[in-house]
Amino acid sequence: MFGSSPPPPPEREYTPYVVFQPAAGQGLQRGINQMVNAIRPTLGPRSRFVAIGKMDRNRSPELVDNGGVIVRRTLALPDRDADMGAMFVRQMVWRQHERHGDGTATLAVLFQSIFNQGVTYLASGGNAMLLRNYLEKGLRLILAELAAMATSIEGEQALARLAESICYDPALARLLGEIFDIIGEYGRLEVRDGSGRELEREYVEGIYWDAPIVSRQMMEIIQKKGPAPGSQPGERPLVRAELENPAILISDLEIQEPRDLVPALSMAIKNQVRNLVIVARSISDNAIAVLLANRNPEKLVAIGVKTPGTLLDDMADAMRDLAALTGGQPLWSAAGDTLARLTPEHLGRARRAWADLSYFGIVGGGGDPRVLRDHIAALRASFRQTEDADARKKLRERIGKLMGGAAMLFIGAATETEMAVRKELAVRTADAVRGAMLEGVMPGGGVALLDCRPALQRLLKQATDLDERAAYRILIRGLEEPARTLIANAGADPSEIMAEIKHAGPGHGFDAAAERVIKMTEADIWDAASTLRGAVTTAVMSAGLALTTSVLVHHRKPTQEFNP
Amino acid sequence: MSKDHDMDLSHHDVVYAIAASPNFATDGICFAGRSSGLYRSQDGGVTWPSTLDSLQLSAPLAASAVAVSPAFTADRFVVAGAEGGVLRSFDRGDTWYVHLLPAPPPLISCLAVSPNFAEDGVLFAGALEDGVFRSANRGDNWVLWNFGLLDLHVMALAVSPDYARDETLFAGTETGVFRSSNGGRAWRETPFPSDLAPVLSLALSPAFASDGVLFAGAEVNGLHVSHDRGRSWQRLGAQIAAESVNAIILSPYFPARPHLLVLLANGPFLSRDGGLTWSAAAGADVADAQASAVAAPLGLEPGAPLLLGLTNGDVVRTTIS
Repeated sequence: MFGSSPPPPPEREYTPYVVFQPAAGQGLQRGINQMVNAIRPTLGPRSRFVAIGKMDRNRSPELVDNGGVIVRRTLALPDRDADMGAMFVRQMVWRQHERHGDGTATLAVLFQSIFNQGVTYLASGGNAMLLRNYLEKGLRLILAELAAMATSIEGEQALARLAESICYDPALARLLGEIFDIIGEYGRLEVRDGSGRELEREYVEGIYWDAPIVSRQMMEIIQKKGPAPGSQPGERPLVRAELENPAILISDLEIQEPRDLVPALSMAIKNQVRNLVIVARSISDNAIAVLLANRNPEKLVAIGVKTPGTLLDDMADAMRDLAALTGGQPLWSAAGDTLARLTPEHLGRARRAWADLSYFGIVGGGGDPRVLRDHIAALRASFRQTEDADARKKLRERIGKLMGGAAMLFIGAATETEMAVRKELAVRTADAVRGAMLEGVMPGGGVALLDCRPALQRLLKQATDLDERAAYRILIRGLEEPARTLIANAGADPSEIMAEIKHAGPGHGFDAAAERVIKMTEADIWDAASTLRGAVTTAVMSAGLALTTSVLVHHRKPTQEFNP
Repeated sequence: MSKDHDMDLSHHDVVYAIAASPNFATDGICFAGRSSGLYRSQDGGVTWPSTLDSLQLSAPLAASAVAVSPAFTADRFVVAGAEGGVLRSFDRGDTWYVHLLPAPPPLISCLAVSPNFAEDGVLFAGALEDGVFRSANRGDNWVLWNFGLLDLHVMALAVSPDYARDETLFAGTETGVFRSSNGGRAWRETPFPSDLAPVLSLALSPAFASDGVLFAGAEVNGLHVSHDRGRSWQRLGAQIAAESVNAIILSPYFPARPHLLVLLANGPFLSRDGGLTWSAAAGADVADAQASAVAAPLGLEPGAPLLLGLTNGDVVRTTIS
C-alpha cells in the first residue's frame, strides 16, 4: 500500500516462515517507516490529508487527517516483513487513539525517531537490551519533568481553546468548551447525528439508564416539553411514564407469576406509596397485566422497568448506583431475595422518575447525600487506580451518570461523510478534553517535550556507559521530532525555527497559525497532559520493544481485523 | 397599611428571613418572611403589615425566603420563596405575582440575586430537596441546573460581588459547600468536611474578587472560613465552635474593617477581628424566643440598626453595640 519495496515471492505469501536478522530488522523498519510516514502529515494545526482508497475503486478516496483513522483503515502491507512493522505501529497508534483520542501523530513520529536512531546505534555494535533499559530510565525522567509542568484547566473559554487546539474546528470547540464546563470531566456526553447543517447541544436534567419500560401501556402523553435522551434537537418526547415522588424497588429479579407481585403492591399501598417503580430483570406478560389492572391514581400507580445493563456485572453496578442515589436496598436474585421479603426499608425514593421505550430516568434521588458522595468518591478512586481502558470507561460512565445530568451534541453536516468525520472528530476531541480536565495541561506544540531535554542533558553529562549515553542522546533528539514535524507541516524550515525557539528560551514554541515563535502558555496553546504522557510512554516503551525484536515468524494466512 | 393588619405577635410563627432595601436609610423598607406570610415595614422595622393582600389568599402562605434587588430604588423588585413556587413584586411589595415551580412542589429555602441584576436579571432559588433553580429573566422562567450538585438539600446561597465577571456562587447544603463558576449552570464539590455540615449560612467578602474569602456557618459546628475561593477551609473562633450559625453578615468595608456578625440561636454576635473573638452584638431582649433571622441594613458600625427575627414571629429592631 505504501512505499515501493518489492513484495516477497508469491509462493511464500501464504506459507509460514521465520525471518532472522538482518532481514527481520530491515523488514520491521520498512513497515514502521511506511506507516509512520503516512501519519506524519497529520501532525499540527496545518496538517494535510491522507487519501485512503475505497474498496470500490469507482468511489472517491477518503480524506483523513487523523492518525487513528489512518491506521484503522490500513489493514495490511503486501510485503509481509514490512507488514509486521506496520501492524506494530497500527496497534500502538490505535491504543493511543482509543485511550486518549489525540496524540497519535506525536506518538508515531516520536516512536519512529527513537526506533530509527536506535537501529543506527545498534548497527554500530550497541547492546539492544541495555539500550532499552536506559531508554526506559530516561522515560521516567521525562515523565517526572512533564508532571512538574502540568497545570489544571477550567472555565468555558480555556476549555474551548484547548478543544480548538485539538480539533481546529472553532464552532465545535466553542460548544465542547461550554459542554465540559457544565458536565465536568466525568460528565455524560452523547454525540449524535444532527438533523441540519449546524452543531446543536441540549442538556438533560437528572440521571438516566438505557433501560426500557416493560409495557407501552404504562406510558401516557406528556404535555411538558423538554430535552430527553434519544431526541433530535427540536423534537420533544410525547409519550412516556412520569411519576412524582415515587418509591423505587431495585432488583434483578425475574418476576414471572402475578402472585409474586401481590406482597409488593400490598406493602406499597399499606405504606401509602402512591407511585412505584419496579426495577426488575424481567416481568412476565401476566405480571405486567396485574400492574396495569391495578393502576389507580388514588391508590397506587406502578410501572416496571428493566434492570439497566446486559451483563450481570453491569446490572449489579447499576443497582448499586441506584441504591446510593435513591436510598433503597436492592433485592439480589443471587442472594435468594424475593418480593415476599420486601419491606418499606427496601424502597428508594426520588422526586421524579420517568421511563419510555428506551430509557429510565430519575430526577432528585432521595438517598442520603453523604452516601451518594462517598459512593462517587469510591468510584473516582477506582477510576484513578484502574489501568484497564474498558474498566476506566465503565467507571467514568457511572460517575458521569451520577453527577446529575447529561449533554447531547448533535453534529450537523452537508453530507453523510462529512457528518461521520465531524462526529469522529468530536468524540476524539471530547476524550482529549476529558483527559486534560482529569490530569491537567502543559504547553502545546511539542514545547513540553522540548523542555524535557535539559534534564536529559544533565543525565547525559553524568553517564559514562556507552549504551546509556546513546539512549539519552536518542531521547533528546527524539523529543524534538514532534515540534520539527509540526513546523515542517506548516511549511516552515525546522532548523531555522528550532534555532529561534532555542534562542527564545523554555516555554517557547512555534505557533503554526500565526507562523511565529511565541510563549505557548501566553497564547493558550496547550496539550492535554494525559495525552502527551500516554504518547511519550508508548513511544519509548514500544521503541525499546521493537529494537529488541530479532526474529519474525509469519503465520500461514494471517487474519485481518478492522479494529486493531 | 391599616393598623389591624399589623403583625400579630400572639401568632407564634417563625421569621425565616429578613431583607432590607439597599436604600434603607432613606426609604426604611424591609421585608420579613414568616410561617404565616410575608410582611413589609416601611418605617424602618417599627410596624409590619402583611404584604400579600393582593393575592387574596384563603390560607396563610409561608414565605420561607425573601430578597430584594440591588437596584431596588429603581426597579422596586422583591422576590420571596414559598412552598411550590416564588412570589415576585415589581412595585416594592404592593402587588405580587405567583410563579409555580415544577411539581412535586419544591420548598424554597433561600434566594440570591445577582449583584448585576439590573442588567442580567439573574436570580437563584435554593430548595430543600430539589437543588438550585435559576432564572435569567427576573423570575419569568426558572430552570433546575443541578449538574454536579450531588446534594440537593440546599440551605444557603451566596453570589460573588463580582458576579458579572466571575459568575461565581456557592451553595451550602446538608453535606457541605458546592461552588459554581459558570453562573449556576454546573457545580463542583469543595472540600468542606461533610462531618461538620449541614451548612446553614454563607457570606462572601465584598472584596471576594481579590481576596477569595468566604465564610460558612454550620449547624452545631460553628463558623468556617476559606481564603482561596473554597479550595480549603479552617474553623474560626473557639467561642462559637459548637454553635449553630444561622446567618453571617460581613461589614461592607471588609476586609479593611474585618467586622462580621453571626446569628446564633441565642442572638447575634459580633467579631471585629475577622472571626477570632466574639461578643454579643446587641442588647436586645428576646425573652424566651430564639433568633432565627437577621438583617443589618446599614452595616456593622456601632449604633447601626439591626433587625432580629425571632421564632415567635416577632421582629425586634435594635442597634449594634
